[in-house]
Amino acid sequence: MRLLAEEALEDLAVGAAILGTGGGGNPYIGKLLAQQAIRRDGPVEVVGVDEVPDDALMAFSAMMGAPTVMVEKIPRGDELVHAFEALRERLGRPITHLVPAEVGGINSTLPIAAAARLRLPLVDADGMGRAFPEVQMCTPTIYGISATPMALADEKGNTAVIETIDNRWTERISRSITIEFGCTALIALYPMTGAQARESLIPATLLLAEDLGRLVRRGRGIDGLLERLRGHRLFEGKVADVERRTVGGFARGEARIEGTDGDAGSTLSIRFQNEHLVAVRDGEVVATVPDLIIVLDAETGEPITTEELRYGFRVAVVAAPCDERWRTEAGLELVGPRYFGYDVEYVPIEERAAASRAGAR
Amino acid sequence: MSWEIVEADLRPIATGAAVLGTGGGGNPYLGMLRARELLRGGARMGVLDPDEVPDEALVVSAGGMGAPVVSWEKLPQGDEEAEAVRALEEHVRRRVDAIAPLEMGGSNSLVALAVGALLGVPVLDGDGMGRAFPELQMVTYLIYGAPPAPAAVADEKGNRTVLSRVADVYALERIARAVTVEYGGHAGLAMCVMTGVQARSTCVPRTLTLAKRIGEAIEGAGARGGDAVDAILEVTGGRRLFQGKIVDVERRLVRGFARGSVTLEGFGRNIGEKLSVDFQNENLIARRGEELLAVVPDLITLVDVDSGEPLTTEVLRYGFRVEVLVLPPSPVLTTPEALRFVGPRAFGYDVDYRPAWATDDRA
Repeated sequence: MRLLAEEALEDLAVGAAILGTGGGGNPYIGKLLAQQAIRRDGPVEVVGVDEVPDDALMAFSAMMGAPTVMVEKIPRGDELVHAFEALRERLGRPITHLVPAEVGGINSTLPIAAAARLRLPLVDADGMGRAFPEVQMCTPTIYGISATPMALADEKGNTAVIETIDNRWTERISRSITIEFGCTALIALYPMTGAQARESLIPATLLLAEDLGRLVRRGRGIDGLLERLRGHRLFEGKVADVERRTVGGFARGEARIEGTDGDAGSTLSIRFQNEHLVAVRDGEVVATVPDLIIVLDAETGEPITTEELRYGFRVAVVAAPCDERWRTEAGLELVGPRYFGYDVEYVPIEERAAASRAGAR
Repeated sequence: MSWEIVEADLRPIATGAAVLGTGGGGNPYLGMLRARELLRGGARMGVLDPDEVPDEALVVSAGGMGAPVVSWEKLPQGDEEAEAVRALEEHVRRRVDAIAPLEMGGSNSLVALAVGALLGVPVLDGDGMGRAFPELQMVTYLIYGAPPAPAAVADEKGNRTVLSRVADVYALERIARAVTVEYGGHAGLAMCVMTGVQARSTCVPRTLTLAKRIGEAIEGAGARGGDAVDAILEVTGGRRLFQGKIVDVERRLVRGFARGSVTLEGFGRNIGEKLSVDFQNENLIARRGEELLAVVPDLITLVDVDSGEPLTTEVLRYGFRVEVLVLPPSPVLTTPEALRFVGPRAFGYDVDYRPAWATDDRA
């Protein structure tokens, strides 16, 4: 157990945006919410997933919707309480811990705000080890854990509790409600026991995010990140074009980066649906989901989310391996490139990098 | 007076409710089949007069939601509405004592009876519209103060959604509609958790009885060889608006609603004239060129010119010979509070409500 105080938030927000692979929402807004909540309600108790009792009852706390909308329509703050109260009421017993659903962007800082306001401990783990755009894309789905009952609340005072026949239906129904709420909702979902959490969640990802943020903020730059993430440099260049649309409650589009330095003459395009999905260099796929494709400021190593990405930015693109569970058949069925409509085989980034090094030699 | 439904009541109720349904409220045949199966299986359907609902009873309104065109193709499982009521029961942690029909429509009148039978509780002789309307904020229970949340929507696959809080009645409509569309365009709905006192004071009373009388009048006229339209008007009041042949039906499925219009070419006393009726699930206005002849909440109903059988929007087709009737709405629908939600302006027509059922435009 440790206490998470305001000072840790800066590191965490930066690290979360790195792991958010372009999505997960703007970490700045989540950081402000968490800051305000900690100032009012005190620091948040963070526990490791191995410290949680078997019979604990926990749930994911997250914000759902399009990041492009989140930066304009910021949460009031009491929606997250409404969502948890609605879920607790449905479950008929108290929720003992909160867990971040993903460790990207707003969704790693927002649960801190929720934990502070609800005065509940936060589990240092998450269901993605990064950010993904859809509700069923959580490791508990692989273990047959239901995403519902799930509660959604908005800033206008609407709250819904849904129960669905499977986790893909959870995504469909919650997405249509979120759109009706105005494209953002605060959600509480995947109620699970401590034992289920230990089995299905990716541990210590808050700690990882804090580490990554600290490395960037202390000027250790991109090399420091690559070491901690066991990542690979993909490309360096200047953003030449960003095409971005809000479709079906998602920010979808493509960024085109023209190479500089060693990559001069080449073009890298990154396709995204809230998160970066596929990186293509001069027509050849160089990285795909579920591996992490991360866009960083070429100078500072600060992460850049899809809604901030703009013409002229000088960026470094890196890729890092995902959690091993995403590389299983069940994992790839949920979050592999084919699920997102790309007809390419998933090849782990380490193998792609090794093959490309061999090719260069 | 409270009474018990027997199989012979189902067809007249469905037919009469379809007359009141003004084109919407679901298909009477489907609703009839569902209710008949239950009765044949030994279920009991009690009808409770509003005056006999105990003050402290827990009453919930239930009905099918969505576009009738969809339920015609994607047949309901049959227990979606009961599932929605069960979801609400779990939410409020109390069993319901009675079901209040959402609206009078060919299907939704009998759906309420089926829900009552499935849950083993009686059904209120009354409803939330006295006819059918396309949107939830148009329910008299809500207009006169029943709470818009909690409400529940359930589909035939086993998905359920409980709206535990809503910002207002319009949010209820929008969110429940979005979920219904995602469910496939048709869902069971339960809403308006009320006491017996609230149900009694906010409903349009005794509309199951009215529907049954209308249906029996149509059947009686058929058996006697009498005029079925005269028989309807005798029970309901109101008048004939237009007699014609359907020459065009334009129908689109827009955001979960069947929207469009039907155009009629007159014959008999209306020879040489044209009439069109615009609908959004239900018939909203009848116009001759730019002239509005009848507007909501007046009941604009199309019936077969010979048999008097009501025609719902999803079965309208070129060549049908119909009589367009204007029937009086319940006074519960014509108060200033109610007209804000069910008057012509609520549907985007910039005119005041003027009753058309009493006047004769040929005079």
